[in-house]
Amino acid sequence: MSEPGASPETAASSETAASPESTAPPESTKTGPGRLLVAVYGLFALSACARAGTQIATEFSRAPVAYVLSAFAGVVYIIATVTLVNGGRTARRIAVLSCSVELAGVLAVGTWSVLDPASFPDATVWSTYGVGYGFVPLVLPVFGLLWLRRWSARAKTGRTVAVSTGNAVGAAHDGEDGSRAGTPTVDSRRGSGL
Amino acid sequence: MNGAVPTTIIVVGLALAGYALLTTARNRRVGLGLLIVIGLLEILLLVLVGLIAARLAGGGRPASMVMLVGYLIAMPLVPVVAGFWGAMERSRWGPAVYAVAGLAAAVLMVRLHEIWAVIHV
Repeated sequence: MSEPGASPETAASSETAASPESTAPPESTKTGPGRLLVAVYGLFALSACARAGTQIATEFSRAPVAYVLSAFAGVVYIIATVTLVNGGRTARRIAVLSCSVELAGVLAVGTWSVLDPASFPDATVWSTYGVGYGFVPLVLPVFGLLWLRRWSARAKTGRTVAVSTGNAVGAAHDGEDGSRAGTPTVDSRRGSGL
Repeated sequence: MNGAVPTTIIVVGLALAGYALLTTARNRRVGLGLLIVIGLLEILLLVLVGLIAARLAGGGRPASMVMLVGYLIAMPLVPVVAGFWGAMERSRWGPAVYAVAGLAAAVLMVRLHEIWAVIHV
């Protein structure tokens, strides 16, 4: 729906087609899609830390490796949540780092738990790539890194480049804006011709 | 305790998630309808906390007391925190936060049943 609406516009009048896209830029890393990311990160920070905390306090000797890894995952989730809410330049760098550690962690621990299940008598958040949590732990850092990359590209090079790089996330939104703005564009072109 | 309250929470949680995702797909922000459903979810969770507290007072003991108390504290906070966080957002991503809260409430009921099977789901 977005492509047939957008393609005739770009050739004829680029300045009128670009204007509706400037109506909805995300203001910070915690608004727009970031709002959802912070919510999911917060939920996982709470659940991973609470789970690890009670397990380490009550039955640490049963599965020490699993519980320490759960606690580590919880700390990484807290850092990601806090830095995404903060959204400053340094915070974004730390967020990228924590999302990367998280992705590496879920891949490494996931593979480890599949190859050597004996080391994991009790599951962690990252066991079998986060199967116990609907594979959200595997998907979450990918979306986190995509969001941070899009946002930092926007801040660095301005709006026009960022819109073209960020179309994966905002495709539906931009498409709707484009189709809505289609009718007035035709009118304005007619007006300028007369 | 029959499982009426936890089951209702799962149904309302999933209904909230579906309604919220539909709102996100329609590119709308959080409206009155979503606030009513998440408010209903909060009331049901508070009722469940009361029922569990009554059962504890009656002498019942779960396998892990620490974890149950953690759930009793965390459960009613989910719709409140998500409610404010999502309502602050002036775009389609606000309802998406409500969807997470609805799904989380449903999952919490299943986990709660694993902690203390006396609460039948």
